[in-house]
Amino acid sequence: MRTSPFRIGLVGLAGIIPGMLVAVVLFLAIYSWPAIHFNGIGFLFRETWNLGNLYADPVTRRGVQVPIGAQYGILVFIVGTLATSAIALLIAVPVSLGVAIFLAEGAPPRLRPTLSLIVELLAVVPSVVYGLWGVAVLVPLIAHYIAPALDDVLGFIPFFAGGSPTGFGLLSSSLVLTLMVVPIITATVYSALLQVPRPDKEAAYALGAMKFEVAVRAMLPMVRGSIVGAIILGLGRALGETMAVLMVSGGAINHLPGTITSPISTMASFIVSQLDSAEQDPTGMAVRSLAEIALVLFIITVIVNVIARLITRGLHVGLTSRA
Amino acid sequence: MSVSQVALEFPLLRGRRIRTRIGWVLSILAFVLVAAPLLDILILVTARGISAISPELFLAPTNGISGGLLNAIVGTFVLSGGALIIGVPIGVGGGIYLAEFGTGSFGAVVRFLSDVLTGIPSIVLGYFSYITMVIWLGWQFSALAGAITLALMVVPYMARLTELSLRQVPLSLREAGYALGAPDRKVIFRIVLPPALPGVLTGALLALAISVGETAPLIYTAGWSNYVWNGKLTHEPIGYLTYVIWSFINQPFASAHALAFAAAFLVVLVVLVINVTARTLLFARTA
Amino acid sequence: MQTRSSETLLRRTFLLGTLGGTSLGLISLVPRRAAAAEVTLLETGSSLLYPLFNLWVPKYTAMHPGVRITTQSTGSGTGIAQAISGVAQIGASDAYMSSAQLKKDPGILNIPLAISAQTVNYNVPGLNNANLKLSGPVLAGIYSGKIRHWNDPAIAKINPGVTLPSQGIVPIHRTDGSGDTFIFSQYLAASDSDWADNVGYGTTLSWPPVQGGIGAIGNPGMVQACGQTPGSLAYIGVSYAAQITKAGLGTALLQNRAGNFVLPNPTTVGAAVAALEDKTPADQRISLIFAPGENSYPIINYEYAIVNSRQASSDIAAAVRDFLTWAVDPAGGSTPEFLGVVHFLSLPEKIAALSKAQIAKIH
Repeated sequence: MRTSPFRIGLVGLAGIIPGMLVAVVLFLAIYSWPAIHFNGIGFLFRETWNLGNLYADPVTRRGVQVPIGAQYGILVFIVGTLATSAIALLIAVPVSLGVAIFLAEGAPPRLRPTLSLIVELLAVVPSVVYGLWGVAVLVPLIAHYIAPALDDVLGFIPFFAGGSPTGFGLLSSSLVLTLMVVPIITATVYSALLQVPRPDKEAAYALGAMKFEVAVRAMLPMVRGSIVGAIILGLGRALGETMAVLMVSGGAINHLPGTITSPISTMASFIVSQLDSAEQDPTGMAVRSLAEIALVLFIITVIVNVIARLITRGLHVGLTSRA
Repeated sequence: MSVSQVALEFPLLRGRRIRTRIGWVLSILAFVLVAAPLLDILILVTARGISAISPELFLAPTNGISGGLLNAIVGTFVLSGGALIIGVPIGVGGGIYLAEFGTGSFGAVVRFLSDVLTGIPSIVLGYFSYITMVIWLGWQFSALAGAITLALMVVPYMARLTELSLRQVPLSLREAGYALGAPDRKVIFRIVLPPALPGVLTGALLALAISVGETAPLIYTAGWSNYVWNGKLTHEPIGYLTYVIWSFINQPFASAHALAFAAAFLVVLVVLVINVTARTLLFARTA
Repeated sequence: MQTRSSETLLRRTFLLGTLGGTSLGLISLVPRRAAAAEVTLLETGSSLLYPLFNLWVPKYTAMHPGVRITTQSTGSGTGIAQAISGVAQIGASDAYMSSAQLKKDPGILNIPLAISAQTVNYNVPGLNNANLKLSGPVLAGIYSGKIRHWNDPAIAKINPGVTLPSQGIVPIHRTDGSGDTFIFSQYLAASDSDWADNVGYGTTLSWPPVQGGIGAIGNPGMVQACGQTPGSLAYIGVSYAAQITKAGLGTALLQNRAGNFVLPNPTTVGAAVAALEDKTPADQRISLIFAPGENSYPIINYEYAIVNSRQASSDIAAAVRDFLTWAVDPAGGSTPEFLGVVHFLSLPEKIAALSKAQIAKIH
């Protein structure tokens, strides 16, 4: 019973997932090893990224061939990645829960399939289209209305002050990410809410709770495991998103964001934007340093996941004890 | 109504009523905040996409800066279909394992690493596949390298969403099944999976949406081809719709832009149709 | 009851899945063509050359049914790398390969196919029809954050008689790797020694941090960002002239080596090519930036095909030779019918002969 072939099969299928990740990470580690050796720990704390002069003869530094003037520091991109993902989740989580409650309990049953389809369609829009829309609509909206409004209302906090002459930057990237994360969280929470057994809901009604109170106080806690899982999935999407962010982020390099409208770059978008030029580096150090960024992003994802789990541990224990 | 009378008489209850009102308004507002940008995007894509729709779009391959999208449509089906064929068994199987037997440390590791895998940027997966499959294994740009890369992307979503929806199935159902002496396989396929199907399907649709909408991992694995796929899994580049969106919008020609928006429109339309079909199947059951 | 009917549903879903899989298999069988007689070429790289290849290929393949050519827009660096690795037969690049790169892969040819130029555009309300004058040192000052306002004395000095606003300048650069960044920064490096020492040139740069400066993706991204941001400045490939006009941007007169301010047109671009024609070496790797001559436009370049001189088979080599020869031939692809559409200029006779000599080395 314990070791039925069926169960072994499931273990095998489940084992492929860590197997894939290990393959990718091993590849990154081996591929970026010369860069790790060359860049040292300063890689994480330097603000300057410079591929060096790709047209001059390479020089030997630290025992390896690199272009003259090459310096690889990614602090700016680490900050950009964490800031965009954090702001996106900060907005996306309450919005998604609100939408899920509205869909599951508030909307007329006849309209539910259509309305939930609308939300899921958000996940369908190709990243590039989000980028095109972001540049054409969201960026001017931020430049002309949202950033000045933030400056008026919250301008006493330096982070929100100053408006934005262009609209490209941290806020636009975070809002585009929000749109991409919302369908993931909403769809998961919505389908979990639909699964809440009727007797459980009725018990809450019997205690005199109103419909909205049932949804928020009784049903949301019951599906908290799904909420946590969905938030972590959404976080993964936000950390790794490239094209749309690249198009609206303003592509900052060599300087840290000072306000919510500063241009930024995320690690994922920076890899995409630099890969082509890096391939011109005859020493290969540029491409290997980009692989090192991917490795660092992986480690950050691990850390962020652990932190997310610690924060939500109480919730998660509740989930595992159910199964 | 008696409730409103009570509410008038008891301020405490009235406060609750007001708060739930505000709650509903906020949740509707959240929906509007999400739906408005989507509608705007859909209007943009539809308005510019529909004007480019013609029979040629579905019958001819791209030819320079004009022509049709047959090669890209076929390619998108092959790549996404391939990704699902590879990814769904792994994802659903892994998800079943996590939900039903994954309480131990192995389950925790799989769950954790699967979540981490979603955070790896698609371009990194693409470059990984480029170096390993396209170069080392010598497959060149190919449908297989592209489909495997997409599968790498969608498997963690499939696994976790399958797990999350299986977990919502009450334990008592499983216990009833096991009490009747049913083996694992029967309990899972006949008892646990059916009620969880909407969630699993949501996962598969999300997986499909992600694989149909991705560009970055395919540029270095599937490449792109101006010709309709000839059935070779390796050594033959293949086209796909998102490439058209990305690279044709970057050309200085109106005909290329029209093709780009037609491709964006088709991407949304294809997934919409699949989504609606799947739902109709599901709701045929509940109705 | 519910479980039962959903079980049938489950079965139905699996059935659908199987059907889908089978039909996929069927698709794979249907369009199989006789591949033996055909040669398949892959061109990949520069997004600037991509539109031109897309004009060439349909015409050429229509005349040569035995050849299939696929064009890809990936970027110049990728074009070079994939031509070297053999994934692609023709790499397209806006920049020639460095000597260091060539030392590593000596069999690679850099073959000019056409001549491209770049404009510097701005969005200063009220002055977009005035053709402001800008110079390399002024642009270097703007892109390194030393010149922050449109009425800066350095700009006013070369624009006598123009009332400049005090508006802040938003310099826009390309975030993605780009041949446009390469030739723009070559112009700055050639005309401003500070820029040459501190920033240099390349398809991406370590841009000096400039308050308010932003990055944009692709030439359309540059046009759009410049169009919707008053006070901004951008460098844009000449193929996008129509979009620039549509967005209502101003085009700057640029100072050339002789000190004159010129706009790009066939005369000024032609003058620059003529000035450097005789200096082009046999391997054709040369910068055309900041050419001498009274009339020369300062930001132009050769657009290259990067090709491995040793191809996988003689059939493929013959197909590459034939296609590229046609492309640079005045009786073939090097006509206004193709080049005029993207505002490129054809190679002078002498340079075309050099290109053909290099093409002949492909075997």
